[in-house]
Amino acid sequence: MAQKRFTRPVGRRDFLRYAGATGMAVSMAGVLAACREADQPSTGSQGSAQPSFPPIEEEPGGLQVFDWSGYGNGDYYPKEEKKFLWGQYAKATGDTPEFSLFENDDSAYTKVVAGARYDVAHPCGYRYGDWVDLEVLQPWDTSLIPNFSSLNPKLMTAGQFDGQQYFVPLDWGFIAPLVNLDHVDGSDESFGVLFDERYKGKISWIDTLNMMVVAAYYLGIENPWEMTDEELTEVRDFLISKKGLVRFYWNQSYDFWLAFKKGEVWAGYAWPDTVGYADAAGMNYLYMKPKEGRISWVCGLGLFADSQNYRHAHEYVDSWASKEAAEFLLAYYYYGHTNTEADLSVVPDGVREALGLDDPTVLDEPNAHPETRIPRRSVYQQYWSEVQAA
Amino acid sequence: MAATHEVTIADRGWRRRERRATAGLLAGPLLWLLLFFVIPVGFVAAYSVGAVGLFPTDTGVVSLSSWERLLTGGSVYMGLFWKSIRMSLTVSAVVVLVAYPVGYFLALCVGRRKYVLVLLIIAPFLTSYLLRVLAWKVILGDAGVINSFLQWVGLTDRPIEWLLYSQFTVMLVLAYIWVPFVALPVFVSLNNLDPSLLEAAGDLGASRWRTFVRVTLPLSLSGVFAAFLFVFIPTIGEFVTPLLVGGTSGYMYGNAVQDLFTRGLDWQTGSTLALFLLAVVALLMAVFGRFLRLREIAT
Repeated sequence: MAQKRFTRPVGRRDFLRYAGATGMAVSMAGVLAACREADQPSTGSQGSAQPSFPPIEEEPGGLQVFDWSGYGNGDYYPKEEKKFLWGQYAKATGDTPEFSLFENDDSAYTKVVAGARYDVAHPCGYRYGDWVDLEVLQPWDTSLIPNFSSLNPKLMTAGQFDGQQYFVPLDWGFIAPLVNLDHVDGSDESFGVLFDERYKGKISWIDTLNMMVVAAYYLGIENPWEMTDEELTEVRDFLISKKGLVRFYWNQSYDFWLAFKKGEVWAGYAWPDTVGYADAAGMNYLYMKPKEGRISWVCGLGLFADSQNYRHAHEYVDSWASKEAAEFLLAYYYYGHTNTEADLSVVPDGVREALGLDDPTVLDEPNAHPETRIPRRSVYQQYWSEVQAA
Repeated sequence: MAATHEVTIADRGWRRRERRATAGLLAGPLLWLLLFFVIPVGFVAAYSVGAVGLFPTDTGVVSLSSWERLLTGGSVYMGLFWKSIRMSLTVSAVVVLVAYPVGYFLALCVGRRKYVLVLLIIAPFLTSYLLRVLAWKVILGDAGVINSFLQWVGLTDRPIEWLLYSQFTVMLVLAYIWVPFVALPVFVSLNNLDPSLLEAAGDLGASRWRTFVRVTLPLSLSGVFAAFLFVFIPTIGEFVTPLLVGGTSGYMYGNAVQDLFTRGLDWQTGSTLALFLLAVVALLMAVFGRFLRLREIAT
């Protein structure tokens, strides 16, 4: 009999019957769980009175930080990132933050929309409005951030919504073409070098829809951040026509740097870190000041509304806002920092000149166009997807 | 009569216990399948018609518009799908051609050390997938091993650019990654071959080539088809390798799905593409299963 039990085949009908029964059981369990949940009173924080936060000793710690690679998790400079970016935080709280990383602003935003939650996150300015609209953040109490007074007040406005400081802008930089002058003619400084037939196979674009904006500036479109469908079509078709010139799209700035250093590409969409690496390597480079204007970006920390580490988070952002953190970013990443007390001499002369760090108007129009919120971002993305898929 | 009645009752009791045992054994796998496949696919289907929305920009209107755009040629993704099919077919065919002799050699030509060699074949799996892909960047780059050698011997005066960041690179790296996977099922099917059949063919005067064509190959076809599917199905949806070494021309269907989900803010189209791929793969499996009659080929 036992033999019979384990050798009788389970037919398709049997299988479907058991599958149906399993499905029914799971569905009922789901319905019952939902009913039970509906019966319970809401414990959400919406609509509650002005919250009061417990002292830092009563917070759980283990601050959850959602950030770019190399911004504290030790990917690039294990000792220095810890020492300069959150050493002050560790000293003040005795806590070690836990890092979750994102590759770019779009993937970070998507993760949060899909339900991921942390204590602090580090998106860039053109996405701030989208994050605030999600209602997942709460404003900072700047009185708990002693270094806040050292930060550039003009740049702080980028993080303000409804008169409250939802983000503390910290690091800033540019988007402009970086070219190898051994192979590329640098006399005409323009985004056009990224679409120049002469450098076919030696160009690298970034793998985000920012290429749509860059192309729009090059094509002279009036407002690249709010293009119409006709303008988007024009930009898409232009990029598709130029796509054959491009060796690869880069996702990590360091990937672009490696290819630039090896001579696999001669020109590319670049952030200031690559400029610093090229300078340190003694390359004959030019970080262009394109006649269309550089694009500038600023990124900073936001605080999640349901964070259980309210005071830890303020200590963390204060650590990031310190002069030491600023000089670390300047010296190691060649990024700007909103702390105005930072000593610019830590930056090599060539890089300081290339980035225009001594020029107080370097971030002003028309020298640079600040990265701006794109209201129809999903539409831009569709057009960019078509460029990639074409 | 009474005895017959007792037997019937005992038989019924036995059947009841058997049904319970079957249900108990199937419950776990079915629950797993339901929770981690059927329900998620149901969610993906709901996203694909807009019944479920995620982003503030999602309208919440249920429509088949993304399906219509995909299936009527209104989007670029169908072209990308065919491109991925072509690339996957090429990779699968090449991999099977390369891996078959390896499996054959291991199963039929090597003596006692065959399992040591099998271990050597699967040794690359002990290293990270990403590392194995990235290693090719060092080999194929402008200053890489191949370009440096070609220039050193004077065969070229400048680096061959299409070696890296091209469709060729994607297919080469995918082939490299999948060869060991494919060699294993081929090895297993050949290793299980009854050697007396080969001896009989020899005794009847068949040459080695004729023995291979008339006996060995047909008997190992089940392994070959399984191996082909092992490569073809995952490579259609591949996105990591194209991302790392594909450049602008190596972009595949899987990259589009990944982009739409992770940063495209368009889960509706992403879900449509993902479900379409799932349907195609399921269809292919059904066709392979029903018309090729793998079991009959094997026996």
